[in-house]
Amino acid sequence: MPEQNKPQKTLESWKQIAGYLDRSERTVRRWEVSEGLPVHRRGHQKYDTVFAYRHEIEAWTRRRTRFGSQDATVAGPQGYEPSLSEVPANRYLVEHDAITRTMDRYVAGARAGDGDLMRPAFHREATMSGYCQGIEYSGSIEHVFAWVTANGPAPKIEPRFARIEIIETIAVVHLEVRGWSGKLAGVNSRASDVFTLLKLDSEWKITHKLFHWHSD
Amino acid sequence: MSGAGGAYRLCMATSKTQSDHDAILKTLQLYIDGCKQGNSELMRPAFHPQGSFFGYAGDQLAIGLEFLFDWIERNGPAPDIESRVVSVDIADSIAVVRLEVVNWSGKLAGSGVRMSDLFTFLRMPDSWKIIQKAFHWHS
Repeated sequence: MPEQNKPQKTLESWKQIAGYLDRSERTVRRWEVSEGLPVHRRGHQKYDTVFAYRHEIEAWTRRRTRFGSQDATVAGPQGYEPSLSEVPANRYLVEHDAITRTMDRYVAGARAGDGDLMRPAFHREATMSGYCQGIEYSGSIEHVFAWVTANGPAPKIEPRFARIEIIETIAVVHLEVRGWSGKLAGVNSRASDVFTLLKLDSEWKITHKLFHWHSD
Repeated sequence: MSGAGGAYRLCMATSKTQSDHDAILKTLQLYIDGCKQGNSELMRPAFHPQGSFFGYAGDQLAIGLEFLFDWIERNGPAPDIESRVVSVDIADSIAVVRLEVVNWSGKLAGSGVRMSDLFTFLRMPDSWKIIQKAFHWHS
């Protein structure tokens, strides 16, 4: 496995992902579907253009050995080869982690003041709506990206997940954010956000951002 | 439900939130009536003009309110559906409602189908409107 000698943050193909986990491509493709192996796609749903973050694969491996399989005592990817019927012991956590990964992209973009950074967290037809200073803003999610970029960095935001509710392929996330700052947000502002998400392949995408800016 | 959910329940003791709660369910009833009668015109007023709709109908990803309205019309009446409001969470001008519906029937739904819905609502000057419906069809 050349990856071990040449550290890199991403694995750039099914072949590299399979090599990293020391399993066949067929097995890791199956794991994506059955066990939530965190695999990402470039562009929009080009099915075979995949990549994976090594740290996510490692975290998945740790979770899997903790919650998942019969050989829970074996750490690392070397110790198991699941049967076809194997299912993760805690599907909720697999989805919960996938959802928070998507939400982390939103938060990273908000913190950096970079709309493009958060764009991959959203479905291409996502919309937004809500009130800011008594005025309703509803429409394309592009407005959010433009606002975040115009607002600039907000390094002190404190996001808290007030609630994550998952129903199979859909989910709602209530995020409370304090410490908003920036050119448009002002100083130490507070927002309540409700995101609706949809499960697409292995990734969750935000389909709607609903917000309320608090005036206190 | 997390601690925040508990906070909402405390808020619901206030009359303002109580009236918001009632207004939200009144809007939701328009949706339910439209489903039962197979009449999209009944449910249209429940939705915000820029409302959206997302979910899987079988393997197909269904997007857009017009898809929903068209589906309701083609499905026709579903008189036996039973709906239950599982939760109503209100935070100032925004709200989330989870609805569970069993016994869906009709030309497209088949029979005895179960559906879970997540509605997000926005408070408008005169009423609450559904800004998004996300659904999961249980197979």
